[in-house]
Amino acid sequence: MQKSESLSKTNTPKRFRMNLKTRETIAAYLFLSPFIILFSVFVIRATFYAIQMSFFDWTILRPFKPFVGLANYKELINDDVWWLALKNTLYFSIITVVGTSAVALAAALAINQPQVKGKEFFRVLLYMPSLLSVGVIGLTWVWLLNTQFGIVNYLLSFIGIRPINWLGDGKLVIPALSLTTIWWGFGFPMLIFLAGLQGIPEQLYEAARIDGARQGQIFWRITLPLLRPTLLFVTVTGFIAHFQVFGQPFIMTRGGPGRASYTVIFYLYEAAWRAFRMGYGSAIAVALAIIIIIFTLLQFRFIGRRVEY
Amino acid sequence: MPKLKALKYLLSLFILVFFVQTMAQDEPEPVVTDFGSGGTLISFWNGLSGSDGVTLNEMLGQFVSENPDVSVRTEIIDWGTLYPKLQTAFVAGEPPDVFIVHASEVAQFHSYGMLKDLSYLYDTNGGPLPADDFAQPGFNGVFIDGVPYGVPLDNHGRATWANVGLFEAAGIEPHIPNNFDDLVAMLQQLTLDANGNNAASADFDPANIVQWGTCMEWIYTDFESYLWQHGGSIISEDGKTATVNSEAAMAALQKMHDLIYKYHVSPEPAGFDAWQSWAGGKVALVPTGSWFRNFAEDQTDIQGQALPAMQLGPNPGVWFGAHVFMIPVSLEGEKLAAVEKMIEWVTNNQKMWAASGQVPARISVQAELDPENYPSNILIGKTFQDYGHMEVVSTAILELQSALDPELSAALNNQKSIEDALNDANKRMQQILDRTQ
Amino acid sequence: MKRQKFLSSLPSYAYLIILGLIVILPLIMIFSQSLMSNQEINRWPPKIYTPEPVFSNYVNMFKRPDLKLARWLFNSIFAAAAYTLAVFVICAPAAYAFARLRFPGNNVLFFILLATVMVPGQVTLIPNFLLVRNLHMLDTFHVLIWPGAANVFAVFLLRQFFMQVPKELEEAAVLDGASYWGRFWRIVLPLSTNALVALGIFVFLGHYNDLFWPLITTNSIEMRTLPVGLTLLNFSYGGMERPLVLAGAIFASVPVLIVYVIFQRQIIKGVAMTGMGGR
Repeated sequence: MQKSESLSKTNTPKRFRMNLKTRETIAAYLFLSPFIILFSVFVIRATFYAIQMSFFDWTILRPFKPFVGLANYKELINDDVWWLALKNTLYFSIITVVGTSAVALAAALAINQPQVKGKEFFRVLLYMPSLLSVGVIGLTWVWLLNTQFGIVNYLLSFIGIRPINWLGDGKLVIPALSLTTIWWGFGFPMLIFLAGLQGIPEQLYEAARIDGARQGQIFWRITLPLLRPTLLFVTVTGFIAHFQVFGQPFIMTRGGPGRASYTVIFYLYEAAWRAFRMGYGSAIAVALAIIIIIFTLLQFRFIGRRVEY
Repeated sequence: MPKLKALKYLLSLFILVFFVQTMAQDEPEPVVTDFGSGGTLISFWNGLSGSDGVTLNEMLGQFVSENPDVSVRTEIIDWGTLYPKLQTAFVAGEPPDVFIVHASEVAQFHSYGMLKDLSYLYDTNGGPLPADDFAQPGFNGVFIDGVPYGVPLDNHGRATWANVGLFEAAGIEPHIPNNFDDLVAMLQQLTLDANGNNAASADFDPANIVQWGTCMEWIYTDFESYLWQHGGSIISEDGKTATVNSEAAMAALQKMHDLIYKYHVSPEPAGFDAWQSWAGGKVALVPTGSWFRNFAEDQTDIQGQALPAMQLGPNPGVWFGAHVFMIPVSLEGEKLAAVEKMIEWVTNNQKMWAASGQVPARISVQAELDPENYPSNILIGKTFQDYGHMEVVSTAILELQSALDPELSAALNNQKSIEDALNDANKRMQQILDRTQ
Repeated sequence: MKRQKFLSSLPSYAYLIILGLIVILPLIMIFSQSLMSNQEINRWPPKIYTPEPVFSNYVNMFKRPDLKLARWLFNSIFAAAAYTLAVFVICAPAAYAFARLRFPGNNVLFFILLATVMVPGQVTLIPNFLLVRNLHMLDTFHVLIWPGAANVFAVFLLRQFFMQVPKELEEAAVLDGASYWGRFWRIVLPLSTNALVALGIFVFLGHYNDLFWPLITTNSIEMRTLPVGLTLLNFSYGGMERPLVLAGAIFASVPVLIVYVIFQRQIIKGVAMTGMGGR
C-alpha cells in the first residue's frame, strides 16, 4: 500500500515525466503483485507439481521417491475401487443436481407468485440450512436417518412403511446422502432462481394470459426458456461442487457399507492421507480434474446451445 | 458514507485481531487438557477416547500431583484420525513427546525410522521396568529384531457382553457354547419377533424381529478371531502373501453371514448401532471389546455380564492387541527424562488402568485384581493368555486393514458374494504386499 | 375474484409450508433430543419431547478435555473472517487492475485465470500440503488463510462489480489529481460496498464450511475448526453418547443462526447477488 501511496506523489512533480502508459502499467502490476505471487505459488506451481508428482512413487515418509512413469495411471485404470468411486460420485452428483434444482425451482416459483404473502419469511427460512456447517449436517442427519431410532423412519411408520436402512443399505446410501445434501443446499439455487424469475418482465406473462395460455403452458413456453441461463449456471456450478463431495460420506458413512459410498475425494483422502501415497493421490487428483473439465465443457455445449434459441 | 466507515473500522479491527492472534501463536494458551502447570511440559497423544480417556486423565492427574516437576498435555483423538495425524506430525518434524499406538503398528512406525530403542528402560539392560512381568504373547509385540520399541500399557481385545435379563427370560444361563451349532441354537432362543416367538419356533417371523440374539460390531477383529478359530490367518507367516481367500476364511465369513441371513439371529450390520441397541435392551449378546466395561456399567437398568468371544470354528481363538507407549527417536534431554518418569509411573500404577476395562499388561497387576470389582478384566485376560492371537504384524498393517475391512462389510451386508469379497480383498492386499514388502 | 386468487395460490402455500416444516423440524427434533439422557434417546418409538430435560450434555461439552467446541467455533469464525479479509486485500486491487487499467499481458493473465477456474481445488491439495509443511505452517491459522487467498472467483466477481462503477466519476477524480490508488480506494471501492459485503458473506461461508483442508492441515485439538471438530466428536462418541453429539451440533449452529436472523436481509441479498455473478 505504501508503494502505491508514493506513486500518487509522483503524480505532481514534473521531474519524472514518465509517459502515461508506462505509469499505468507499473500501477497495474503493483495492484496485481500480491495476487500474482500467491496465485503462482498456490495455484500454478501446485498444479504443475501435482502433475509431476503423479509420475513418481511418492510416499511421504520414505526418503527414496523413484520415478515410475505412467505406473500410477496404469494402476488407476486397473483399480476397481477408483472406478467404483467414480461411479458413486457420478450417481450422487446427478441425482443431487436434479433434485436440488427441482426443489429449488419449485420453491422459487411458489415464492414468486404475486399472490403469495410472506415472501421474505419463506426466503429466510428456506435458506437457513445452507448456513449450517457440513459437520452439523453430518451428525444431525446420521441420527435422523438412523435405522432403529431415527425420526425419519418413525414418521414413515405412520404411513405403514417399515424401517428403512438408509445409510446401511448399499443401494440406498447414495440416495440418502443425496437427500441430506438437497436438504442442506437447495436454498442457494432457490435464491438464484428467484433472482432469475424477477428478471422476467411481467408484460410477457400478461400477454400470454391475454392469449389464453394456461399456467402450465406459461411455465414451459415462457418461464423455463427465459430461465435457461440461470438453469445452466445452477447445474454447472452444482455439478462441479457435488462432484467434489467429501464431508457427507466421510462423516456419515465413512465410505460404507462396504465401499458403497466411496467418492472420488474420499478415495483421494484414503490414498494420500491414510496410506500416504502422494504420487497415487496426485494421479487421482489429475484424473478428477480432467473429468471435471470435460464435463463442464460438455454441459456448456449442450445446455448452452439451447440457451441460444 | 457511514457504511464505508463502518467497513473500514471492521477491517482494521480484523487486522488487529489477526496480528495479535498470529503473534500469540508462539505461546499457546494453557488448556484444560494440561495436567500440572510446572516443570517440564510433555505432549502425549493417544487414541483412547471415551471412557478409556476418562480413566487415563484420572491417572495423569494423580501423576502430576505426585510429580510437580512434570506437566502433561494430552491429546485424545479417535484412532482412525490419530494415525494420519501422527504421521503428518512426524513428517512435519513436530512429533509429540510420547504417544500410544497398538503393538501391531510398531513395525509400521518403526519402518519410517520414527521410534526410539527402549531397551534401556527394562531391567534386562539396567532400567527400572521388570521385563519378566509383562504378559505374553502381548509383550513380544513390541520387539522388532530383538529390540523393544515400546512399553505395553495393557492387553485389550474381543469378548462378548450378555444382557443377563434377556438370558434369564429365555431360561438360559449366560455362557458361550464351544461349537457353532449350539451357539446358533442358543442365539435362536434369544431372538424374538413381535409376537414373542423365538427364532427356533415354526411361527417365527424374520421380518419382524424386536430382540436380537447377537449383532455385528467391529467386524474386522471378530472376523480375524473366527479366522484363527478355523486355522487361518489374513497373511502368511513370512508376511509376503495374502491368504484371506483361504478355505478357512471362506468358512469363517460364511458362518458370520449365516448368523444374519440364514438363522436370523443377527441384524444386517450396517445401520445397526450395536452399543446403543444393547443399551436399549434389544440385543442379548453383543460381541465387543474389553473396553465395553464402563459403558455396560453406565447402563444401570441393564445387568451386564462379560463372556468370552463367540466360538464359530473348531478351536477357541480370540483377537487381542496391546496399547503401547512409544517415544520418537528425536526426543532428548529434560523432556525425555520427564517422559520416562511418566511411563514408569503409569506402568507401576496399571491397576488404575483396569478401571477402563482393559487388562493390565503386567502379570503382577493382573494377579492383584479382585474378582469382585474386576470380573470382566480377569475373565477376558484369561482368554487372551489361553488362546489369544495378537493382531498380525506387518509394516503395512494399516493399509491391509483398510483393504480388507470394506470387503467384509460388503459381504455381510449382502452387496457381494463371500467368494467375490474375499477374492477382491486378497487381490488388493497382495498388491499392497507386493508394493511394500 | 379475490377468493379465486387465494385459491390459485393454495398449492404454492402448501408446498412452501411443507418445505418449511421439512427444514425446521429436524433442527427442533435435534434440539429436543439433545436434552435427553442416553437411556431416553435409545427408544422406539423415538421420544420427541422429554418432560425432564437434562443439561448435562451441554455442560459436558465444556468439561470433557477432548471437546473444545467454543474454541472450534472461534477458530472457524476467526479463520473465515481473516480469510475473507485476506481475499479482499489480495484480490480487490487485482480485480481493479483487470477492470480499469490497461497494461501489456492483460489478456494473457486473464486467460490463465480463466483456465484455472476449471481445475478443481483438489489438484493443488497435495503440493500445497507439502509446501505448508515445509514452511512449518501446519497447525497454525496461516495455513487456513493464505493458500486459498488468491481466489480467482473473487477476482472475477470484483472485476464485474468494479466495471459497473461509472467511468465518469473516476475521470473527474483524475482531473482532481487522484492517483491510481486514490481512484481505487476513494472512488471505486466505496461505490462497491454493497457488492463487497455480498462477496464477503459468500467467501466467508465457503471457508466456514470447508472440511478437507483443515482436516489435513490442523493437528492439535486447539487448532481444529468446527467441521473437523464435529466430525471427530461424531467418530469418538457417536455410538455411545448420542445426546452429547447432538448437543454439539446445536451448540455449533446457534451462534450462526442468531447472526443469520439479525442480518438475514443482507445475507440473502448478498448470496443472490454473488451467485448471479454480480448482476
